[in-house]
Amino acid sequence: MIEKKVKCPSCGFETMIQGEPGESKILVCPNCDKKGMFQFPGPKRTLENEKGLSMLSVTSLTKTFNGKKAVNNASFSVKKGEIFGFLGPNGAGKTTTIKAVLGLLFADEGRILIEDKNLMTDEKHVKEHIGYLPEKVAFYENLTALQNLEFYAEMKQADKAQCRILLKEFGLGDAVNQKVGTFSKGMNQRLGMARAILGDPSFLILDEPSSGLDPRGVVFIREKIKELNDQGVTIFISSHILSEIQAICHRVGIINKGSIVAVDDIENLQNRLQLQPKLVLTLDNVKKEFVTAVEGIDEVSSVKQNNKVLEVFCKKKAKAQVILTLAKKKATILDIQTMDPSLEEVFMRFTEAGD
Amino acid sequence: MNLADNLQAFIPSKSVLYIAKKEVMDNIRSRWVIVMSFIFALLTFVVSYFGSFGEGWQSLGLTIAGMMSLVQFLIPIIALILSYGAIVGEIERGSMSAFLSLPVKRVEIILGKFIGLSSVLGISVLVGFGVAGIIIGINVGEINIGEYIVFLLTSILLGMVFVCLGLFASSFFKRRSTAMGMSIFLWFFFTMIWSIITSGIAIMVSDDFTSVISEGFPDWYYAVEMINPLSAFNSLVSLNVESVSSMGQEFLGSYPDFYTTPLLTVILLVWLTVFLVLSVLIFKNRDL
Repeated sequence: MIEKKVKCPSCGFETMIQGEPGESKILVCPNCDKKGMFQFPGPKRTLENEKGLSMLSVTSLTKTFNGKKAVNNASFSVKKGEIFGFLGPNGAGKTTTIKAVLGLLFADEGRILIEDKNLMTDEKHVKEHIGYLPEKVAFYENLTALQNLEFYAEMKQADKAQCRILLKEFGLGDAVNQKVGTFSKGMNQRLGMARAILGDPSFLILDEPSSGLDPRGVVFIREKIKELNDQGVTIFISSHILSEIQAICHRVGIINKGSIVAVDDIENLQNRLQLQPKLVLTLDNVKKEFVTAVEGIDEVSSVKQNNKVLEVFCKKKAKAQVILTLAKKKATILDIQTMDPSLEEVFMRFTEAGD
Repeated sequence: MNLADNLQAFIPSKSVLYIAKKEVMDNIRSRWVIVMSFIFALLTFVVSYFGSFGEGWQSLGLTIAGMMSLVQFLIPIIALILSYGAIVGEIERGSMSAFLSLPVKRVEIILGKFIGLSSVLGISVLVGFGVAGIIIGINVGEINIGEYIVFLLTSILLGMVFVCLGLFASSFFKRRSTAMGMSIFLWFFFTMIWSIITSGIAIMVSDDFTSVISEGFPDWYYAVEMINPLSAFNSLVSLNVESVSSMGQEFLGSYPDFYTTPLLTVILLVWLTVFLVLSVLIFKNRDL
């Protein structure tokens, strides 16, 4: 039994309700008597003891178009329960890799396993557990949003009742019976996300999920991705918005000119490139002994002085020790700024060869 | 995949029926069905009423005879328009990627589209010609329902053959515009070029042109002509609808003995099957 706080979309009245994971309930608002449907989040799709096992394993994937290798001997894996960011410059092979993973195109060489099953030999069963948001979201324009989702629900053998709930959840409650041909790009993108999570897949592949969304939509999708991951959904996400990837991904893979150039968590990649956080301290007076003391800290790699400003390059965990050391030396700290290296720097360094 | 799996793939699964249902819904919502039904009904009325040169409604049999050439042009082109974008259109629009990420096999997509589009055409033919047939029947009082049903079903079968040809073009080409070009060529080839080539060859290989005029074409000419789905349709209706056959005999003479209903039906079914299987094989191995 789980408990959830729900808010009436009509009057804003909030109340707590109880139910089983995945259960749909018809609710009547105690304040305004408005009827509505609510679905509790489904059961955890990745069990604690499954975390770390491979959800997707790509080995030596190679795909050639007109004699040019779009993907060259690419190998990486996505672990169950994680959010994996897949990055690369335009034309690096991201979409080709995603299409090969989904069986939309046929690899020249290599092996792709999803939950240890081969997509080519066990296509239907494997795809039952996948949700996909393509880069170019398209629907049947003569059909309404509900008719479109119901068609996909039938194909996925999902509960059709979930369609209306998802449409409401994704802010399309008023457009249920509107033809998709009249939708804006943002509405299409939201509908695309709803389609991807229809049928409660355990593995979501999202290609540019924030494309065409306004800032509110971007935040909404980010929160939704986190929420789904909390429910145990493994998420493979390709995006050009690196701040998004940095905010939500546990690990990233970078592809450049068809080859995988890095796969790790962001901090490890930063360490590999010796990109360290920078602590910028403004003191009322910088004495030589302060600089010497800070330089003496093990995890500090360098210290630069510029008038009253000290720039300290160190590992993340050493930042507090730097401040404590200065405090012990009776330094008066006027201002502290920490500047962590961004994923953008990591990306630029790993893809330099592509320029 | 072994033979049993391949055969099993051709047995309509639930997914095939869902895809077919979606195709029908999509075409109803886009008003295609209504437009086609209206065109078919209107043509039937025009042929029946104005074909009699001011003597009022013609009988259903004579109406069918009058409509034969119109149907031979119209049904194939409508079937090709319906189907040439079914695969390549979805690929170009982007909806095929999401479609193929679903637990569905490519063979099921082709089969679903075939059943759906054939149903759309079938509904339009039945509604358009059916409503017109009932109204004409009420006015003339003389109805041979059996012959009219044969005409309707044969027209639908012809449409299904051309739906398969359209699906083939749609699976084969990478661009919608090229698939459309190929469809137009196919229509032109079967309605015009085929007959021009076969009769041209028959005249060329004959000793002299006058012998063709006096003795008629040789049997091989009729055999080759019969393979054309439009000729097969034409002959099938002629053999089974008396008004059409009597009118045909009046102008063209009688068909050779090997022109039989089962053989002509098999020819249409072979066209349908060959191009359906080719569409599946091409689409199954196609990169998106």
